[in-house]
Amino acid sequence: MLTVDNISVRRGVSTTLQEVSFSLDPGRTLAVVGESGAGKSTLINAILGLVQCSVGSVSWNGAPVSQCRPALVMQEPRAAFNPRLSLRRSVMEPVVAQNLAVGSDRLATLCRALEVQPDLLDRRPDQVSIGQAQRMGILRALIAAPPLVLFDEPLSALDAVTQKHTARLIADMQEQEGFAALIVTHDLGYAAAFADEIAVLRAGRIEEIATAQSFVEAPQTEYGRMLRDAAFALGALERVA
Amino acid sequence: MIVVFAGLLLRAVVVLTGAALATFALLWHAPGDPALAIAEARYGQNVSKEVLDFIRVEAGFEDGFWTAFWAWLAPLMQGDFGQSSVNGRDVWPDLVTAMSYTFPLALVSLALGLAVSLPLALIATRRPGSWLDRGAVALASIGVAIPAFWLGLLLILLFAVQLGWLPAMGAETTTHSILPAMTLGFGVAASLTRIIRSGILEARGQPFLPAFTRRGVARRDIARDHVAPHAAVPVVTVLGLELAFLLEGLVVVEVIFARPGLGSFLVNAIFARDFPRVQAVVLLAAVIFVVVNLAIDLIYRSLDPRVSGRDA
Amino acid sequence: MTLHVRGLSAERSGQIILHPTNVDFKPGERVGLVGASGSGKSTLGHELVDALRTQGASVAHVPQSPDEALDPLRSMAFHWREAEKALGLALDNERREMLFNALRIEKGDLRKRPWGWSRGMQQRFVTAMALIGVPDLLVMDEPTSALDPVVAAGTMDLLEDYLKDRQTALLLITHDLGLAARRVSRLMVMEAGRIVEDAPTQQFLASPKTRAAKALCAHRNWLELPC
Repeated sequence: MLTVDNISVRRGVSTTLQEVSFSLDPGRTLAVVGESGAGKSTLINAILGLVQCSVGSVSWNGAPVSQCRPALVMQEPRAAFNPRLSLRRSVMEPVVAQNLAVGSDRLATLCRALEVQPDLLDRRPDQVSIGQAQRMGILRALIAAPPLVLFDEPLSALDAVTQKHTARLIADMQEQEGFAALIVTHDLGYAAAFADEIAVLRAGRIEEIATAQSFVEAPQTEYGRMLRDAAFALGALERVA
Repeated sequence: MIVVFAGLLLRAVVVLTGAALATFALLWHAPGDPALAIAEARYGQNVSKEVLDFIRVEAGFEDGFWTAFWAWLAPLMQGDFGQSSVNGRDVWPDLVTAMSYTFPLALVSLALGLAVSLPLALIATRRPGSWLDRGAVALASIGVAIPAFWLGLLLILLFAVQLGWLPAMGAETTTHSILPAMTLGFGVAASLTRIIRSGILEARGQPFLPAFTRRGVARRDIARDHVAPHAAVPVVTVLGLELAFLLEGLVVVEVIFARPGLGSFLVNAIFARDFPRVQAVVLLAAVIFVVVNLAIDLIYRSLDPRVSGRDA
Repeated sequence: MTLHVRGLSAERSGQIILHPTNVDFKPGERVGLVGASGSGKSTLGHELVDALRTQGASVAHVPQSPDEALDPLRSMAFHWREAEKALGLALDNERREMLFNALRIEKGDLRKRPWGWSRGMQQRFVTAMALIGVPDLLVMDEPTSALDPVVAAGTMDLLEDYLKDRQTALLLITHDLGLAARRVSRLMVMEAGRIVEDAPTQQFLASPKTRAAKALCAHRNWLELPC
């Protein structure tokens, strides 16, 4: 279980995160929504251990979170891969880096589940479509079977139909693998449809946190209402009256 | 803003001190007996040991490196450039005379180089990848590789010896500057052509240009208001480096064309181990560098203010 | 005055990106052009604007991101003046104030360069610039994808308010059917460089005919609703 305990992140004079606390169980999905600049990326970096928390701690089952080797799926699939390496090499990197013995059937199983044609793996990132590249990003995140997977705007670079399809695949993988998922997104529709809980981040603080359903039906804060109404206005959520 | 300026100024002082120190050290440790070099320059013949010892004390070589350095630096901080070790004359007036020969030549060469490279780059970029473009780039690449002394001698051979159109040596009239300016200008044109060309091509590739066309802005206005300023940024930056090339080339060219100026002033001073004169030229060059780069830095920041605010 | 465009097409390195296409716009009509990435919709937008300009019609294009519309070395004031001049219009501060108010950017400092404004404000500025000449058609390419949802929704609402009683037609190009369906009266679907379906919105949503249209319809918002 991921425990984020009252973390604050300060950079120079400004505080990017303040008193952020929540927990996340395996197999569950938490969506973190908010505007740009709210601190969503900083939160991910803090959980990954890339940024020092001036206060508080992030732990997995009591131990420092880095020990569980959390994985990350990034927003821009093509920017997330070394353009000079074949996708196969990039995808297998976590396994190599952690010195794990992972059989070739794991790769084959994941390819099937994520609808990645195996021969595409020998290509370079710019030689596959953006949807395919993003699925390979997910593949790379899952290859070493981490218990916690972070997603930073995993769907924003994709078009509407591909978004829905990829979201479905992520959910299916979570059912199969049982990882805890923290998804940072500005798409409230996606959060509502696929997350168990939604946390609203605003100026470094958690404004509210609730189950997805109750948030969409009745946000507790004015800011939450504003986010939800914007999602309606953009057609991401449909009013079921 | 003031903080930025102060930082740049501090950097300038460090650069100047470093240059002065490094040159002094190199000259101090140069092979051979510096007293002997001074004696040869002064008297032109072998001298007795007593004279050499006298020179050694007079020039401060007996005092040790740091004392000698300070003996030079202290008066300098009050504006005194000292006297030549060879003929005892004040360094500063002779330096100014040398500058009066060199600076006009430098400016003319720069202007010539720009006058050639700008139209050449514009012609080349009219149709990138065409024979014209590739020819221009090839010519420019060759031009950069050609050493100034080789080109200078070649031009002398052709225009002075064979054709007899232009004088080969000296600096008496303006006609005398034509061949030296051509030699230097050629190198400047070569490197500027490539920079201007790539600056224009990159400026043309900016993502927002089609939007201006769609808005109805005339092609000429787009070129003048949105391509040229962007292209100017790398060019202005490189002009600072061009100065290095120019100063180096000037030394060579002045020797080849037997012109008085900073080049010959420096070369002769080095041969004679004339410390005060050498230091003066080096300091002058360093000051020119620092001032030009400061100016370029400020121009660059005013063209593209995104650069300001972060000084690393 | 209806706008007619015939024979729009485009190809790149030998491949046809846009097959010969005809489109029409009635005055004040709101049309959506929806399709997957790579379907050619942005290309159609560009070709449409270029063709209409040659025809002499008054048309404006708002690109997906402000990076594709503004020169970072020039001030916002410069951009605005230049746009007015390009349309052959005199400097008109009242018009500028009116448009700025309509798009809620009246607080923006015109002396600043683009990066001195927030992205949302930059995008609204570009939109305002597009409206200077009261165009017959305004083409917006993915107006919401580069922005935060709150800002995006705000911008779309402001634009809708402004266009409400005007004759300017709107072409909304997007990959997101959910976004388009709420704001347009007619929907066109693109696939592989062709417009494969073109119908009034209600009719489209009630019974999409082509495969591409059905896929878009089925995935138009996150909570799956029968189409």
